[in-house]
Amino acid sequence: MRLLRAWQTLVWLSARRMLFSSSTLVVLLPVAISLLFVLHRNYGAWDDSARAFDRFSRFLVAGYLLFVIPICTLAYGTSSLGGDREDRTLLFLLVRPIPRALVLLGKFSASVPLALGLLLACFGGYCLLAGEVGRLAWNAYLPAVVLSTIAYLAVFHLFAVVFRHATTVALIYALFMELVLGHMPGIIKRVAISYYGRVLMYAGGEPWGVRAPPAQWFEPISATAATWALAGLTVASLAAALAVFQWREYRDLT
Amino acid sequence: MAELVFERVTKFYGPVIGINAVSCRLCGGIVGLLGANGAGKSTFMKLASGQLRPSLGEVRVAGRAATSAAARRRVGLSPDLHVFYEEMTGFQFVYAMARLHGYSRGEARQRTQRAIEAVGMSDRAGRRLAGASHGMRQRIKLAQAMVHDPELLLLDEPLSGIDPAGRREISLLLARWAGEGRTIVFSSHILAEVEQLADRILVLVRGRLVADGALAEVRGLLEDRPFVVALEAAEPRRLAACVAELPEVRSVEVQGETVLVRTRNPQRFFSWINELVVQEGLELRRMEMLDTGAEAVFSYLEAASA
Repeated sequence: MRLLRAWQTLVWLSARRMLFSSSTLVVLLPVAISLLFVLHRNYGAWDDSARAFDRFSRFLVAGYLLFVIPICTLAYGTSSLGGDREDRTLLFLLVRPIPRALVLLGKFSASVPLALGLLLACFGGYCLLAGEVGRLAWNAYLPAVVLSTIAYLAVFHLFAVVFRHATTVALIYALFMELVLGHMPGIIKRVAISYYGRVLMYAGGEPWGVRAPPAQWFEPISATAATWALAGLTVASLAAALAVFQWREYRDLT
Repeated sequence: MAELVFERVTKFYGPVIGINAVSCRLCGGIVGLLGANGAGKSTFMKLASGQLRPSLGEVRVAGRAATSAAARRRVGLSPDLHVFYEEMTGFQFVYAMARLHGYSRGEARQRTQRAIEAVGMSDRAGRRLAGASHGMRQRIKLAQAMVHDPELLLLDEPLSGIDPAGRREISLLLARWAGEGRTIVFSSHILAEVEQLADRILVLVRGRLVADGALAEVRGLLEDRPFVVALEAAEPRRLAACVAELPEVRSVEVQGETVLVRTRNPQRFFSWINELVVQEGLELRRMEMLDTGAEAVFSYLEAASA
């Protein structure tokens, strides 16, 4: 009972500290810019709803999935544990009687509702602004948004456990792996989380005429495989982070 | 009472050795951990608080591995670190730490109030930590370390940066806590500070435990330590010959105009040399005691233990 209460405190404390941190400001900027973009495009007023849906979907893939989600998850994913590491307050958690694995899971559990809540609110905002097209998009793309968000958070937590300056490493990862390798021809793009997110989004939008890039270039996999890949990546990243965190000695805290 | 046991503990940081084959059993009272910077005091504290695992040997608290959650429940650590959750007030921070020990809201609040009162911060606990002075931070660190009533308190340099009045208050506080049956281990690189507070002293030099015992035992070791006194005179050879006749003088060496005298009792030597200078009509230009720093004391203890 005491351990549960301690863990709940850790989750609550971490979520509160993350919410009222500079990470939230970093996240709000791209969210606001993207909302202004959707407002400006006014997809709900287009006469050709099929074209409006297609354009809205392309914005969601290029602007939201490839830009807003990584930025938001990077900010919260690396700061949840990395922030404590960088300002050395992690020590105060490591000397409490909470097993290390639960400390990490607590940090992850604090970041998931925060990042997911903010990203879903943002996605909901786009969909509301886009009218009927938005309602369709919400249903079609929700699984891709949720799974990609959680997968990114898990990977960024792994970075926070392993690297001293996790934010810098995560930024390099987001730019190099996600943007560059994720758009390379051939199967190398499968190293990027965004690839599986895009597969899911294209699969979700297909019934409404959204077309994936040419198969010889995009080399899509099935939506089921992409779902499993994102779920597997989440579990594997978390397991790796737990293993490293359990044994890692943070000598630089004092 | 939780016993802290180090059994032939060695800690390597890559090729560098943090502490080397340290063995000790600490149970009750105030234990002063003395050593120069880089001697291994912080490594000792980190091992005892379960932050680090020993490369060789074992560290146990109340029979459990120091890294286990069960051991950490019995340990309170005040680290040599001056950052907190800066956005919080002192009270909020200590309360958060109490909650992280699993106490209910009501109990955590009561414990926080008690801890804050104990460290004399009741009137300032509502201030934000971001603007807190060094002394306030030290007290908040102590409060968060003892909020869960630990049996073993590990205090890394608890008196550094504290004014004399604050030192006295904290010293009294530590004595009271020890009187309640806790084991308190505190580190310092200042010999006088440790002498004032500790019932038992551990001296670390370059990672090795070179002295371990009651204050009187370690004092005994230090009393045997020769001091070097440099005398500058117009007739150094004549001075050296006279000084060599004095009791308590172990050796005399002439270096140019300087005479280096090794003595075990500098106080008595100084009174004798004054008499000697007057009796013999010697011209003494300068008299200075060398190697009085803590580092010299630690080096002597290291050599004595070898």
